[in-house]
Amino acid sequence: MSNFEKIGAGYSLNLTLDEAHILINLVEQLLELLGEGDFFHHYDSSDPLAQLLAMPSEIVTPDDPVLLRLLPNAYADPEAASDFRRYTEPQIRSSKQRNLRLMREELTILVDENQGGVIEELDAKIWLKGLNDLRIALSVRLEIDETSFEKFELLSEDDQQKPVFAVYFWLGWLQTNLLDVL
Amino acid sequence: MVDTLTDTQLSIDQFLDRPWVTIVWDDPVNLMSYVTHVFMTLFGYSKERAHELMLQVHNEGRAVVSSGTREEMERDVQRLHESGLWATLQRDDKI
Repeated sequence: MSNFEKIGAGYSLNLTLDEAHILINLVEQLLELLGEGDFFHHYDSSDPLAQLLAMPSEIVTPDDPVLLRLLPNAYADPEAASDFRRYTEPQIRSSKQRNLRLMREELTILVDENQGGVIEELDAKIWLKGLNDLRIALSVRLEIDETSFEKFELLSEDDQQKPVFAVYFWLGWLQTNLLDVL
Repeated sequence: MVDTLTDTQLSIDQFLDRPWVTIVWDDPVNLMSYVTHVFMTLFGYSKERAHELMLQVHNEGRAVVSSGTREEMERDVQRLHESGLWATLQRDDKI
């Protein structure tokens, strides 16, 4: 069973190979949805030059419900929401991408070695936010509401949705575990 | 109807003076312990205060978590979005 541990000033996470595969799979899917393919920028996004070409003249409200939940409107008024989005969304987006990229790097080690193991000295704050974004993304696809756990328990074992719900609730368990050791 | 005019003038003045507020909305996903943790780390609230605000979000569907200038509230909303909470800002609707 996976779990986070506090060791000295740092944190570690023990994962089976299957769990590492599930996490890296979700992390990479969310990175793609956030607009990042399989490449790494060679500059820091806080560099003023970096935003010169990357800043589009207009950033529209996302169509995808997962993106809309991760990057919600900040104002009820559409014009104010649009202005806020134009200036702020790139930063929120890249903050989420940074968290996920770091998780991906750490998970890659386990996946490449093809065995479960311990991720040492991980950044707990980044994992906390990254796990939360993964849960939010899955919750939108699964249409999670207050009654979902009861529905999940009533799903038959051969229901195709069952393993996906199981992953969602496992992520919640993992995040709770991290919060407990913080 | 001078009194009425004065009242109107007064409420416009109050409207202009009203601070901006950041509101966090309830959702069925964010863990209660996570929301409390975010309020403590982003705003420096005590565990008790953060827990109280989290419960208000959970029970009433929303809670004002900070107030100040529009710029300050935009910054708070940005940090809340970075943490995955559903937050908006508006002028304080209490007079």
